[in-house]
Amino acid sequence: MSDVEAPGGVRAETTIDAWGDSLLKVRDLDAGYGDLQILSEVDVDVREGEYITVVGPNGAGKSTVMKSVFGLTTHMGGTVYFEDEDITELSPEEIITVGIGYVPQNENVFGSLTVEENLEMGAYILEEVPTEAMEAVYDRFPILRERRDQKAGNLSGGQQQMVAMGRALMLEPELLLLDEPSAGLAPDLVDDMFDRIDRINDDGTAVLMVEQNAKEALRRCDRGYVLVNGQNRYEDAGETLLNDQQVRQDFLGG
Amino acid sequence: MGVSESYERGRNLFQSNPVGFVLGLAVLILMLDLVRQLVTGELDVARFGLVLKAGIMRGMVIGLAGIGLSLTYSILNFANFAHGDYLTSGAFAGMAVSYLVAGKFGSEANIGALLLVGTGGSVFGGALGVGVVTAPAAVLAGVVVAGVATIGLTLLVDRYVFRPIRDRSGIALLITSIGVAFVLRYLILFVFGGSKRGVTAEQPSLSVGVPGGAIEIGTHDVALFVVAAALMAGIHLLLQNTKLGKAMRAMADNEDLARVTGIPTERVVKYTWILGGGLTGVAGYMFVLWKGTLGFFDGWLLLLLVFAAVILGGIGSIYGAITGGLVIGITFSMAPIWIPSAFGRAAAFVVMIVILIAKPEGIFGGTSTA
Repeated sequence: MSDVEAPGGVRAETTIDAWGDSLLKVRDLDAGYGDLQILSEVDVDVREGEYITVVGPNGAGKSTVMKSVFGLTTHMGGTVYFEDEDITELSPEEIITVGIGYVPQNENVFGSLTVEENLEMGAYILEEVPTEAMEAVYDRFPILRERRDQKAGNLSGGQQQMVAMGRALMLEPELLLLDEPSAGLAPDLVDDMFDRIDRINDDGTAVLMVEQNAKEALRRCDRGYVLVNGQNRYEDAGETLLNDQQVRQDFLGG
Repeated sequence: MGVSESYERGRNLFQSNPVGFVLGLAVLILMLDLVRQLVTGELDVARFGLVLKAGIMRGMVIGLAGIGLSLTYSILNFANFAHGDYLTSGAFAGMAVSYLVAGKFGSEANIGALLLVGTGGSVFGGALGVGVVTAPAAVLAGVVVAGVATIGLTLLVDRYVFRPIRDRSGIALLITSIGVAFVLRYLILFVFGGSKRGVTAEQPSLSVGVPGGAIEIGTHDVALFVVAAALMAGIHLLLQNTKLGKAMRAMADNEDLARVTGIPTERVVKYTWILGGGLTGVAGYMFVLWKGTLGFFDGWLLLLLVFAAVILGGIGSIYGAITGGLVIGITFSMAPIWIPSAFGRAAAFVVMIVILIAKPEGIFGGTSTA
């Protein structure tokens, strides 16, 4: 499945042809912030309905991959394709219309707006608030229906994460980008959050997720990427990476 | 409830919030003194009513102008010092049109003199009959043009001055806005002249008889109050109930998140200027119509009070701006009951400082409403 060369700086090789049916294709991506380059020649593929996790040590550039896909970094080379369309130079405002939703890691709700207003903002680009999509979000997160008129800033961390995901789901994206969804959650809520992501994926939305909680993320995903120093290091089925002696030792704490 | 119990409660309150306690005590003493003065006749009811009315009127102007300042502050993240001169610009633009309409487009006076708002004493608003009752069409046209012209001015300034440096720090924008303020002020001086002129004609008023005299409620008092209250209610409804209003609140809350959510932030910025500029222009015109005189320094002088109101109300909140405006306006007008009238402005700032010591984030601080 993958011909990734392990350490030594040889980068993972995948050809566009082999991944012809990919929803998202990231090819040879160089990106960073201003003059600072973080990613170099990164390749990532997400097929329709697939659940992909990107793991790696702190500072490996995991979140930068996600931000680059969403047009939030300085592009320095390479290409991002979504449904075979080059979206590399698009702005976030435009990317949201092609079918990608993004849930940032921190401060991901409008605290002074109500839950319902937060969801409405997720569908800002539509003429009308899509009531069906909103009902679907409320069905997925019933607690949000109960709290629809409360300020999002007054909710618990877990509920705020639901608001953030719900907002990204308002446009019913084909691909959902999740940046550290378990960050800052109480340990007993982390499992619940991963279950909810599983269900979103089961319902047909492809997921590209960055996680600190690497073991749990790899256990649940279809495929995983290990990123080190802004470069691809390993790439394989989640379970395979999880059981790989080298990966365990280097990145998963044994 | 015994005396010891209330003493105990007072002591607890004092310990938990000493500044607030002292502040509350001071307000209580002043209010009791006010009642004493009114009862003993030291201060007659008519004068009290008059200063209270003046305070509320001033407060409405400050509040209305403060909404515009607060909107641009919370959404664009900088304190716009050109705001005062936007007020002046609105007042001059509106008055020029009011003169033009009241002067029947040049048939009653030289059209140039009308458009320059009677610069150098060439025409007088009193003679033209500028006022709500004597020339309603002129006032209506003036209000509309004051709003529209100020919107145009703010968009123009934003396009060529603020937008190119939007990504810089708030300090760079603030200093730039001071430059814009000077340019606007002295352009107005250059075009319209520096004389402070009377612009309105005598309007009918209603006298309410009270002990010690009567409280006069003029047509322009009513006009100012109605226009300001209507615009405040309108902006409240807009922010709470419309898609644009919610997007403005979202952007004030977290601009980066607004962008990744798909809110067209540049467009929201534009509408913010349109709303803020329109409110500011109308506030400037109504202020001048109400006080009856117009000078190129009017907006700048008012700006400091507007800033005081916005900061005291909790910067970023339009409800804070309205409340702060009323507090500052009423303090400014009522202070002469106790201290020499020259210190009215100083008293307004003292109140601001004291409230900020008790509640550093302002009255409505922390609940950014726009």
